[in-house]
Amino acid sequence: MAFQEKNIVASLSTFALILGFYSVRVLQMVRTESFTATNLFWLWGMVAVFAVIGTILVSIFAHIAGGIVHKIRTNEDPNIEDIQDERDQLIDLKGTRVAYTFSSIGVALSMLTFVFGQPPLVMFGSLIFFGLLAQVAADIWRLTLYRRGF
Amino acid sequence: MAKGRISNNIRKLRFFRDEMTQQQLAEKVGVTRQTIIAMEQDKYSPSLELAFRIAHVFGVPLEEVFSYHPKDLQD
Repeated sequence: MAFQEKNIVASLSTFALILGFYSVRVLQMVRTESFTATNLFWLWGMVAVFAVIGTILVSIFAHIAGGIVHKIRTNEDPNIEDIQDERDQLIDLKGTRVAYTFSSIGVALSMLTFVFGQPPLVMFGSLIFFGLLAQVAADIWRLTLYRRGF
Repeated sequence: MAKGRISNNIRKLRFFRDEMTQQQLAEKVGVTRQTIIAMEQDKYSPSLELAFRIAHVFGVPLEEVFSYHPKDLQD
């Protein structure tokens, strides 16, 4: 697996976990009737911190583990190709387009919660949800393009 | 308009250049080995600039490396 692919897998696994954690926590809040601004902002802060620290830590772990496996399997020193060439940039852009599409749909759906008479907190909560979903969808699409070609 | 297919002779040209490795070619044209692999498997069509760089490395005209097959001719 190439350097860029490992980064995407690291990002995908981190954001999928965060999305799951966020969804479960919000559902718990709704069930226990503790869906308040304080709790949601606290959760939002946690998500932001996990997203930054988690992605960095998982990326480092993936590269170290990948390097060890490569050394064991081939007895060669791992060659880290950390340059981003035109194919990587194109795949990155295509992934970003998917993220924008999901984000736009998410914003529109979040605005719709106003139409149905929900408080602004619901809109804020769903904006975060669709933001995370957009990142996961973009990473899945990037990984698909690396694997399938285009 | 139907999309055509671009094929290439990179594998063959590498073979005739003393079995130049994918890594060596990648370094000469400034891309990763994965991009060379993707091109050889027809999974990626390079930019015009990269196509010219590859042709320059092999010292042949562009059309000896890449060929275009329009969709309507395949059908």
